[in-house]
Amino acid sequence: MAVDENVEGIRAFMDGITYPVLVDTEHVLTELYAISNVPTVLMIDEDDRIAHPNWSAFASDTFKEFTGVDSAKQVDVVRQWVLTGALPLTPDEAKSAVGDNTPEEESARLHFRIANHLRRQGDDDGASRNFDKAAELAPHDWTIRRAMLPLRGGDPFGDEFFALSAEFDAAGRPFHGIAAERN
Amino acid sequence: MFVGAASIAGTWLSYGAGMNNDLALLENGPVIAADQLEATLGWTLKPEGLCRDDTCVIVSDRAAIERDGGIDATAVADLLDRPWALDEASNTVAVGAPRAARRGALNDLQAPDFVLPDLDGTAYALSDHRSKKRLLVAFSSW
Repeated sequence: MAVDENVEGIRAFMDGITYPVLVDTEHVLTELYAISNVPTVLMIDEDDRIAHPNWSAFASDTFKEFTGVDSAKQVDVVRQWVLTGALPLTPDEAKSAVGDNTPEEESARLHFRIANHLRRQGDDDGASRNFDKAAELAPHDWTIRRAMLPLRGGDPFGDEFFALSAEFDAAGRPFHGIAAERN
Repeated sequence: MFVGAASIAGTWLSYGAGMNNDLALLENGPVIAADQLEATLGWTLKPEGLCRDDTCVIVSDRAAIERDGGIDATAVADLLDRPWALDEASNTVAVGAPRAARRGALNDLQAPDFVLPDLDGTAYALSDHRSKKRLLVAFSSW
């Protein structure tokens, strides 16, 4: 599920993939599931129960140098759940693992949608005003702060990203969910 | 090249028919005609209150949601426990999904349903795949 609207960028991840890849330009998922960064992985069981809530998990070691996360261990957790139903956390741990969106973060998501709508209408000032508002309301939410960079002509892998990353570290790396274990 | 709401006119902030996910965007401010309530927020104003499917929410003070000859969608959003934001300069309102229902579901580990398109516009709902284990991966190119 791409929290994104860059079609070519999404396609770049789809090589060889046979399962559905969905596009969430309006960030429905970040609101409904309180997702604040990508990649975020959830496991949902046969009865629509969240077996494993928001988890910062990787399917490959592409970003290992930056994240320090060993993907093989994470893939194994998913594999065990698929094969046996075994999970690395209890339901009580799962229930308390994800802090909900704050009222400010809810509002940030709404201003992000307004910004995107105005951007598509060609109202650059209006878009900018609402992107700024969203950033002010949710300063450490990557689905707001980093996601808006390419929409505003910025580079999500450039200086702005490293500045955001430093801000995020200084704030204690807040994340709605279970952070990945770093090596 | 972009996909999504860019190509969709009107007041639903929508990915297409049946994919509204309880989001709404009002381009002309919060006041809408009463008969537009269903098309915008998904609820209808009836004598018994605000109704959708088999559910009605009592409106104890109808005057409180009326404004300038229409209905104040933000007052309705408040009654439905849905967050909203207003950009005054462009008179644009965004309305989100019901707050307590969403929180309650997450706290109880009930996966909220959603409907999203793939790149070809085909709709997929989480609930289409009930009775199977599902792995959701939120990713992006940014």
